[in-house]
Amino acid sequence: MRLWRLVILALGGLRRTPLRVALTVLGVMIGSGALVSMVAFALGVQRMAEAPFEMLGLLNNIEVLPGKDDAGEARALDDAAIDELAALPGVAAAYPDIRAAGVKLLNGDTATRAMAVGVATHVPMFGEIDELLLAGHFFESGEKPEALLSVALLRDLGFESPQEAVGSVLRLEADGLSPTDAKTFAYEHKDFTITVIGVYGMPRMVPGFHHRGVLVPMGLMKEIPGIQASLAMASLRAGKSAMGAGYEKAIVRVEHFADLARLEEQIRTMGFETQTLLERLDDMRSFFVFMDAALAAVGAVALVVAALGVVNTLLISVLERYQEIGIYKALGASDGDLVTLFLAEAGLVGLLGGLGGLALGRAVAWALGTAVNVYARSQGVTRTFDIFAFPLWLLAATVVFSVVVSVVAGVYPARRAARLDPIRALRRH
Amino acid sequence: MDAGGDGAVFLETRGLVREFHVGPSVVRALDGLDLAVTRGEFLAVLGVSGSGKSTLLHLLGGLDTPTSGDVVVEGRDLASLSPRERALYRRTAVGFVFQSYYLVPSLTAEENLAVALLFQGTYGLAGRRLAGEALRRVGVEHRRRHRPSQLSGGEQQRVAIARAIVHQPPLLLADEPTGNLDRATAEEVMLLLAGIHRDLGTTVVMVTHDRETAERVADRIVHLRDGRLVDGKGPTP
Repeated sequence: MRLWRLVILALGGLRRTPLRVALTVLGVMIGSGALVSMVAFALGVQRMAEAPFEMLGLLNNIEVLPGKDDAGEARALDDAAIDELAALPGVAAAYPDIRAAGVKLLNGDTATRAMAVGVATHVPMFGEIDELLLAGHFFESGEKPEALLSVALLRDLGFESPQEAVGSVLRLEADGLSPTDAKTFAYEHKDFTITVIGVYGMPRMVPGFHHRGVLVPMGLMKEIPGIQASLAMASLRAGKSAMGAGYEKAIVRVEHFADLARLEEQIRTMGFETQTLLERLDDMRSFFVFMDAALAAVGAVALVVAALGVVNTLLISVLERYQEIGIYKALGASDGDLVTLFLAEAGLVGLLGGLGGLALGRAVAWALGTAVNVYARSQGVTRTFDIFAFPLWLLAATVVFSVVVSVVAGVYPARRAARLDPIRALRRH
Repeated sequence: MDAGGDGAVFLETRGLVREFHVGPSVVRALDGLDLAVTRGEFLAVLGVSGSGKSTLLHLLGGLDTPTSGDVVVEGRDLASLSPRERALYRRTAVGFVFQSYYLVPSLTAEENLAVALLFQGTYGLAGRRLAGEALRRVGVEHRRRHRPSQLSGGEQQRVAIARAIVHQPPLLLADEPTGNLDRATAEEVMLLLAGIHRDLGTTVVMVTHDRETAERVADRIVHLRDGRLVDGKGPTP
């Protein structure tokens, strides 16, 4: 309470030289504004990079691989095993992850190579794929021979726009070796006729989505020859049957992210290998931590420069108020009271500067964000970028940091004021 | 002239010496001063400027520390106090009145009193009540919202006196309180101090070079010359 009164008294002290105080506050404002906008930029970029992971729920996925063979306890990742995984409590869905590189896509005579990826159409994984769809729609059932094309394939197939591709009928040719019995493989070539129902665009850095992908329903995918060839050969080499070697990879989607570690452990004890995207995301996050720190350091330098302004202003204030300090001492103010008084002034400058800095930072973010989006639009990009993120903790931390830096800057002037000899101070005009 | 006080020694100096270093030379402002003031006494210290009057007041008020010798107030030796304890002594036991008033120019009359109370931990309604009482006692309550620059010299000194007594200290130290005032105003201020001494029983030590005024209000007068007492008048404890 007494402290609060001292703060009010300090406010009176600041009121005396409004221009000088305003300029000092402006300096702190610019410093904290630089700090907040730089960190907000780093956070915004990080958010943009991580958004696809979260949007697609990829972080809730566990990639399951067949168990190693050396212990003799190898578990094949076949349909039975996948059913078993799907039945685990906390698992939303389990499905094989099948892809076939180098399938041929033909639009009439125009041909290109693509990566066929099987989609478990019954799994609500792509709940937000609408955001990625540039044209058309997602699979309605897994029964029809339909496909979603990556936007990267359009030009090679002779399409001018995503809209033009939707509805067109393509041929998909694939060949490979398929096991026909325990020890025999047959070369197979198959033609499929597929209808393009949609075109998607996907950020390249999201793993699991091939840049030149053609997404087809799982039922159709399983008919593509060669998809089990490499595991079947390995099984054969190990002295087992080529049949029933299973899939190379399956995806287990957990209902709650919190269960991820527990389920991953459980699946490992069942004899499978697992991996998650968390590790890769961790790498990315550590990069962003570095970027945050580097940008925050630049902003902090600006604030430290502003702190020198605070030191300067308060030192002049101490000089100008020698007599007042002497009066306070004669009235019984302790050294601690005078330190508190000047630190309160410094803290007020920091508080005003910090709050002003938030406004300034947001204004800068708005201006730069608008400029980036105007430029992006002029380059034909339809997406809107939100390159700054201002979480609540950042706002609070900026103000607190600004106050702390200013108070620290006030320590020397405050101590000087407190150490003044009251008699000399009183005599000085 | 009423003989003030109850005879008990309130304040005492023993062999008080205060030296100042001015360049290479040493100036002895007080030179082994022995002085005793009884509780409730109004003591006037007369002397020309440079005789060490102000230095004496600063030492009595705990604003300064002696080169040697003791200042004992109610049995406490000020020299033995820590800076913090000396601040506490100033804020509870002493009220200062200066020749140049020393009001804080940016604060109103009322706020000047409030600041003094603030350092003692009194504020809010209680503080305002005490400030109002003190301003009323010195007759400038109607000027409480004015800043020092809007007040006459006499009014400023009244506010300064109100500030010195607002926390009802047992000791009032006045340093040439009328030095900057015209004759008539000086008379009023002096009567005000005498009234406070009489009504509140405050022990007053006033330094002045104005013998005539001192003789009318003080219980006792001592003369200071070159840092020593040269003679006395009235009861010597």
